[in-house]
Amino acid sequence: MTAVTASKTSGTVEDLRSPRAAAWKNAAEVKLPLQPTPLDAQPSAYVQKAWANRERGNVPSVAVRALSVGDQLVLRLEWAAPDPRRLINDNDVYADACAVIFPSNGKDAELSTMGSPERPVTTWYWRAGAPGPFLATATGLGTVSRAAKHGLQATGEWQAGFWNVVIAGPAKSTRIGVAVWSGVSGERAGLKSHTPAWHDLKVG
Amino acid sequence: MAKKAAPSRRQLAMVFDLNKCLGCQTCSLACKTAWTTRAGMEHQWWNIVNTFPGRGTPRDVFTHGGGYTKKGEPIPGDFPGKRLWGEAWDFDYEGVFGSNRDEPIPLHPREHDGAAPQWGPNWDEDMGGGEYPNSYFFYLQQICMNCSEPACVEACPRESVYKREEDGIVLIDEERCHGYRFCAEACPYKRIYFNEQRNVAQKCISCFPRLEAGVAPACIRQCPGRVRHIDYLDNVDGHIYKLVKKWKVALPLRPDFGVEPNVYYVPPTSPLAFKDNGEFDDLNSRIPMEYLKEMFGPGVEQALATIEAEREKVAAGKKSELMDILISRNWNDLLGPFTVDPAQLQRQPVR
Repeated sequence: MTAVTASKTSGTVEDLRSPRAAAWKNAAEVKLPLQPTPLDAQPSAYVQKAWANRERGNVPSVAVRALSVGDQLVLRLEWAAPDPRRLINDNDVYADACAVIFPSNGKDAELSTMGSPERPVTTWYWRAGAPGPFLATATGLGTVSRAAKHGLQATGEWQAGFWNVVIAGPAKSTRIGVAVWSGVSGERAGLKSHTPAWHDLKVG
Repeated sequence: MAKKAAPSRRQLAMVFDLNKCLGCQTCSLACKTAWTTRAGMEHQWWNIVNTFPGRGTPRDVFTHGGGYTKKGEPIPGDFPGKRLWGEAWDFDYEGVFGSNRDEPIPLHPREHDGAAPQWGPNWDEDMGGGEYPNSYFFYLQQICMNCSEPACVEACPRESVYKREEDGIVLIDEERCHGYRFCAEACPYKRIYFNEQRNVAQKCISCFPRLEAGVAPACIRQCPGRVRHIDYLDNVDGHIYKLVKKWKVALPLRPDFGVEPNVYYVPPTSPLAFKDNGEFDDLNSRIPMEYLKEMFGPGVEQALATIEAEREKVAAGKKSELMDILISRNWNDLLGPFTVDPAQLQRQPVR
């Protein structure tokens, strides 16, 4: 399984906020393959039925670069979105989004169930057009609970068919997962492309 | 049956008498001013009254899926875009106020991008169905049905939509809601709105803070036509039980949706149809029975016959419990246990 390595870098998170910041050019890029989340695990019979014949989870991969600044882990996620949805501006419009996920204990948790009461997961969630990122924890499917204070920073830019999102926060974890939601496909909640297993996270 | 909502201990229910509604929209305004004036709610009409036969709100309201099949399978639905509901229009006041007699500019509604609206609440008002002289229509009031098998509750993967144990009211917990909108797709009556600014689903709350203070919901209390009754369904002495269970003249709307709604309707009676030769058609009313069966289920024929028979009784000078309930000479009788006058309550400071 491909590992994500965050090299230590000098400077501040602010220097890395732009996906086009010079420091990103030298950061190693790993491509993590994504898969659709299993439909039969969705915690709603309605969702399972309504999505049985709908296209979903078709973002094939996400390119991840990682840097570490002090106690901050800074990630740059890049994925293809030929027809972006930048804003929720109607009843039937869903915005593109991404999230990174960690075992809350830094070591292990069940990824396919979004954690369990004994071993929760922590996620950093970014959505196009939203006022800011969310920090959330989950103890199972459908239990994502957003924290009132998050200490995260995020910037997203869409250019020439790709989203580039930089998201930064304090992280002490040895494993990481990624998820991407395609707005044009109506993806939200558990309907997404995701890394089906943890990837090792090495902070240099 | 795919369901999540546990049956409530009691069920609050309502009966709307379609023969008394005058289409004045006082209920719509009572609700609007009470609940949907805040940011992102401008387009929301938790209570809405449309002319039927008609296309409803959103446009073609009963064709957007949701609910359950006879076998209890969820039916995929859609959540129509806001132009099919009607936005909170702006109006060209400047043009109107600046126009003169030679070049008058009529008042025009405008959508957010300046486009002319193509649909809105009660858009096809009073158009109805049938051909003269057999044309007909009635007004259909819609709010959240507080269903016993609420498809919205099942559809939400976060359990943000729930049915209250104490009275069966269905509510959305806005703290939990992440704006996924599966609930709005799953509701066959299309009574859930989306607040874009806050990214949450919102809908009729049955005025639960009023109910908890003993006050009837605003749409019910303010109805000038005395159309609406409210009570617990299990109160055998109350109007709802008598109209729904005893007299069986109040029927669910579109029972084929499979969600067991708890707003019931007294179906519209209509005069006899005219035959081609101008004589009365003794066998048919103006509103076709097939249409009424589609709207209110197979019980509608007997319900109308019962109403007709009880009317005859009163016309012959006899007493009728059913007619007394439907007329409700004492206004408070409509309100079940919720007769507290809100003007007598101490107002809580607005948060």
